[in-house]
Amino acid sequence: MKNFRDIEQLSAYLDGQLSPSDSARLESRISSDPEIASAFNDIRAARSILRKLPPRKAPRNFTLTRQMVGLKPPLPRSYSFFRFSTAFATILLMLTFAANLILPNLFFGMGAAAPAPAAAQDAYGMGEGSGPALFAMPAAATEAPAATEAPAMAMEIAPTETPPMAMEAAPMATLPATVTNADLVPTADPLLLEEPMAKEAATAPESPAQPQGGAERQALIPVTWQIGLLSIGVISLLIMLALRHSARQKWK
Amino acid sequence: MDEIALVQSAQNGDLDSFNTLVLHYQDRVFNTALRILGDEDLAQDAAQEAFISAFRSVSSFRGGSFKAWLLRTVTNACYDELRRQKRKPTTPLEPDTEDGEEMDSPRWLADPNMTPAQQSEADELEHAIQHCLDALPVDFRAVVVLADVQGMDYSEVAIAAHVPLGTIKSRLARARLRLRECLRGFEELLPSSFRLEGESNS
Repeated sequence: MKNFRDIEQLSAYLDGQLSPSDSARLESRISSDPEIASAFNDIRAARSILRKLPPRKAPRNFTLTRQMVGLKPPLPRSYSFFRFSTAFATILLMLTFAANLILPNLFFGMGAAAPAPAAAQDAYGMGEGSGPALFAMPAAATEAPAATEAPAMAMEIAPTETPPMAMEAAPMATLPATVTNADLVPTADPLLLEEPMAKEAATAPESPAQPQGGAERQALIPVTWQIGLLSIGVISLLIMLALRHSARQKWK
Repeated sequence: MDEIALVQSAQNGDLDSFNTLVLHYQDRVFNTALRILGDEDLAQDAAQEAFISAFRSVSSFRGGSFKAWLLRTVTNACYDELRRQKRKPTTPLEPDTEDGEEMDSPRWLADPNMTPAQQSEADELEHAIQHCLDALPVDFRAVVVLADVQGMDYSEVAIAAHVPLGTIKSRLARARLRLRECLRGFEELLPSSFRLEGESNS
């Protein structure tokens, strides 16, 4: 047995991987050294046997299907538009619900004073300045019974219009009790409230839509908008699904 | 077959073009897997895995020999399969034959030096050669299968086996040496033109 370097040289020589000079040197050794020649013949025979190994035919086709490689059907360009509109409409719809739920509470919670001056301004027909607020604030703060009186008065005058008025008066009753400084209540006369309420009550029958307007004022986003967004979302979703289904059918 | 055009189409996601390549190379890929793994079912699995893997990574093919690149994929799939078997040997010690009878001498229980009874079972040259291939370390086996069974040149084998050219030369020489020793046990099976001359000279 020759050393491994010789075996490697013989193997490379068989495959034509030696340089011409190395090949010539090895050929002379093979012809002169019987041991090298024997090893050479052995390697050559082993190589020939392997090369004559009968090739086996593949027992089946290995062609790939789209499912195998996880390919998805090509979708039309409009698909991405409808996908976007579905998502956009859904997000907007959720935002409208959130807005209607949170914002009214936020307004009532933060600025309970705001409705009161507004009511006072409406009542007195003076929309500017802080004067009405000064009148209204103490009235609401110190005359807590007004909350209970107001509905009663309203019911006397115009029973059908009590809910809006009651709703307006109720926040007033919840004003902080800390605003009880006597200096701020020189004009806290129930008549001041009585008069505007009476005015409101008197005008109520002439404009029957007003109470509904008051209810809508609490829902910042109208329901019709929400229905519209819902319709857009559902229609876009259906079109999107139809496009995907037809693309898959074509692909098959 | 315009191989370059088909490869380019496959790189653009055209599965039909890739399947044309599959049909062209599937015998070669299956044979490589069969000679490395020594089991037809495992070879089928490895070949299928190799083609799936090849399609997914065909965009990384940067030219050169597509055959060598493909056989590298199948060689890797075979290595994975062998590693999996090593981690989770699922072969029962006394397996049944297809008829439900207990197999007396399963191939995987045989040592490299076959007993006379086993030798009589391996009465075909192909089985004898496969037996000798199975006795080789897997790295040597892959190189000798690619070079001698598939007839690839050294540079292609280096790509397919993902080892340097010098390592290919060394592994191939060692593998041939070991095969020569192993095949001496099957002298009577060999055609006269392939008889190993070392034995007659010694």
